[in-house]
Amino acid sequence: MPLRFDNDFLKKLEYLHVVSKRALAGQNRADRLSPKRGRGLEFADHRPYSAGDDYRHIDWKAYQRLNRLLLRLFDEERDLSIYLMLDVSQSMAEPAKFDMARRIAAALCYIGLVHLDRLTIIPFGSGLRHESSPGRGKGKIFRVFDALEQLETSGPTDLRESCKAFASRPRQLGLVVIISDFLDPGGFEHGLKILRTLGHDVFAVQITSERDRDPGVYGLVRFVDSETGTLREVEVTPRLASAYVKASQAHAESLAHFCGRYDIGYVRADAERPFEDVVLRTFRQGRFLA
Amino acid sequence: MTFAAMSAWQAWVLLIAAGAIAAGLFLIKLRPPRILVPSLVLWQRVLDASPDLTRWERIRRAVSLLATIVLAVLLGLAVTRPSGSAGSQSTGYGRALIVLDSSWSMLARTRTGETRWDRALAEARRIALSSDQAAIATTADGLVEGPTDDVVLLDAALRRLTPSGEDDTAWPDVAGTQTIHFITDGAVVRPLDRRVVVHSVFEPASNVAVTAFDVRPAVLGGERGKPLVLAEAYAEVANFAPQPQKVRISLSRGSSVLTTHEIQMGAGEAYRETVPIAGRGDAALHLHVEGPANALAIDDDAYAWVDRARPLSVLVVGAQAEWVRRVLAENPDVRVGYVAPSAYRAAGQDLTIFDRWAPPEPPREPALYFAPPGNGGWLGAERDELKPLWETPGTHPVVRGVDPATLRIDRARSYASTELMPIAQSRQGTPIVYVEESPARRAVIVTFSAAESNLSTAPGFPILVGNALEWLTHPAAQDGSRHPGLASFSPAITKVAAPDGSSLPFVRAAGSEYAMLRTPGLYTAEGGGARSVIAVNAADPQRSNIARTTARTPSNVGEGGLDRPWWIVCALAALLLALAEWWTWQRRITV
Repeated sequence: MPLRFDNDFLKKLEYLHVVSKRALAGQNRADRLSPKRGRGLEFADHRPYSAGDDYRHIDWKAYQRLNRLLLRLFDEERDLSIYLMLDVSQSMAEPAKFDMARRIAAALCYIGLVHLDRLTIIPFGSGLRHESSPGRGKGKIFRVFDALEQLETSGPTDLRESCKAFASRPRQLGLVVIISDFLDPGGFEHGLKILRTLGHDVFAVQITSERDRDPGVYGLVRFVDSETGTLREVEVTPRLASAYVKASQAHAESLAHFCGRYDIGYVRADAERPFEDVVLRTFRQGRFLA
Repeated sequence: MTFAAMSAWQAWVLLIAAGAIAAGLFLIKLRPPRILVPSLVLWQRVLDASPDLTRWERIRRAVSLLATIVLAVLLGLAVTRPSGSAGSQSTGYGRALIVLDSSWSMLARTRTGETRWDRALAEARRIALSSDQAAIATTADGLVEGPTDDVVLLDAALRRLTPSGEDDTAWPDVAGTQTIHFITDGAVVRPLDRRVVVHSVFEPASNVAVTAFDVRPAVLGGERGKPLVLAEAYAEVANFAPQPQKVRISLSRGSSVLTTHEIQMGAGEAYRETVPIAGRGDAALHLHVEGPANALAIDDDAYAWVDRARPLSVLVVGAQAEWVRRVLAENPDVRVGYVAPSAYRAAGQDLTIFDRWAPPEPPREPALYFAPPGNGGWLGAERDELKPLWETPGTHPVVRGVDPATLRIDRARSYASTELMPIAQSRQGTPIVYVEESPARRAVIVTFSAAESNLSTAPGFPILVGNALEWLTHPAAQDGSRHPGLASFSPAITKVAAPDGSSLPFVRAAGSEYAMLRTPGLYTAEGGGARSVIAVNAADPQRSNIARTTARTPSNVGEGGLDRPWWIVCALAALLLALAEWWTWQRRITV
């Protein structure tokens, strides 16, 4: 399914910002506050003049009052590195689910491009796959679309190995958005901890589908794990189905609880919900977009 | 275990196959569909966290499998119709002799509306199907069919059979029989071999019955305007129900009803009544009883024949027969006519008495001769004995009770005809009294006349004449009524007609003729130009009491759910199990 947004939706996206809980220093000038002091427009502070400083920034009015040479400091506005880690394991193969994941990624990319952020799309499964950086500026959105459309699901999920691989390369601190169903047999905790330890601002977007939340069948069935091909014969009774629903809810709750504990942003996106509603309402309610 | 619908090995094969097929189908049904899920992570957690659930699943599956097999086996049992009757330890009966009790108590209706006989036939079919070879016999007819393995033949024989009430025939036997099955209601006590397996079709039933009905001669009234009472009918009716009931009793003579009344009879109570039968007229009496609790119909009717209702027509032929007139004038049941030999014509009288004369050709009707001339006639040559001495009284009914010592005979004749049989002889062997009993003729010949003896004044004369009249006009003499069943008749009887007028077939054996009197009623026996009416009644207090049995059997056929109810119970259980399985399956309790 081609990833395309209509103009109205794009305009709505342009008013949104990806919220980073911390000010992170970027590489290029942009419109996002950074911890650095520099040539921005916003006055930040004074400091004593030292030799070599640009005397154009000396606050002469302060010198007149205080008889001291003070230098005026401004907040420097830089770009933000946004790493979009998209789960492309086989568990995401369900069309609605994967489509929702890619569209969320595309929307976030567009918001980032509009605000001149540095974007990196990192597909992962059992490890990292070919990552791509579309560049800066909203004109690069079509590259993003192309890159996302070319993604295919395959293989198992290993968030831990993927995050290890992510950490193995030096990267600018930034915002890491993980879009996944977090159905990792090895658990999601270790991988998220690695990202958090690296100092990134981490945001988890859990994509779920109806099939993940409810078995939807009764009677004796042979479930086949789409990632590993493992068979499991289960007699799905109302009691067992209810237990499964509870387990699914517990899984989501444990992910949300973990994210809250480690200051990781968390948003759940149900694949069956309208996409615009997810982006414009859910993400804003989750304080991921503003 | 035996099976009514098929032989044992077939039934077992069917049951095992039904169970196996059901289990196979169940396992095929349980081959689950493959469903691709994103991940088994959550399912693994659920199943690991709920071991009791998975254990319950295994139990449910086992229970469902068991229920399916039981369902199939129950249906198989319903088809094969098992029975836990005696001798069922073996899988089949081998060569079996099936004897059905032919007592008319087998006609008693059961609660289900069928008769004990119907149940007996069903049981016989079941046994026949479970046997390699079977022979069918009844206590009345003996061996009827077989031994054969042709079940169609056996079934056809069973369809032909009806209870006839006979129970005096010899117990049938078939060589090489491995098992003997006697299907009875136990109404009649029979000494049985230990190897006989008794199958009881008994079920207690209420009944109202005529237990006795007969007529006895009586001469009352007839003078001064009083009606002549010819006989008295004696009736006995019993209520064999465990509760009191109103019984309607009606006695009719011919087409007119003599008495009818309704009485309240207690449980086990017997009611007796004597009804005078007055006046000449119809000789047929019919007693009928009705009651609300009455399972057996055959003993509701009883019949009797009043011989004296119609006077006997006697023609005396002789020139000087005054001495005969004297003795016949005393008998109110005889209407006598007198003619000279020259005027003799056969005029359809019941009996003709010839005094010292015989027609050239013997008459068709019964005849009593006194000293008929034999020379040149059909009696053959004649030889005389003077002063014969009759010493030994005979045993024949004609001379029974006649005291020869009171007779003085001057001359007696013997005849050469081979048709004649002497029943009383002189010391020298000269016949004193002959009888002729053949299908064509019936005659009594006294070889002396009143003129040649003191016969007319002898005490034995009226006895001799009475005996002769009785014997001549009643070819099938019988005291009282007969019971339904096989009846023997003398060879002189040429025809026995059933109440509906149809002729009964004879079977000749051991010098006698036998006919099966199957239903109560008035039968007519003819022979030698005479005709007598036989009343056949089922009245018997022992057999009408169908609420008790003498059969002590290991199994009761068709009663209380042992035979037919077996398969009904199986079918019902299968239905209930299927409904329960469906209900639990709808609710995901079973798989």
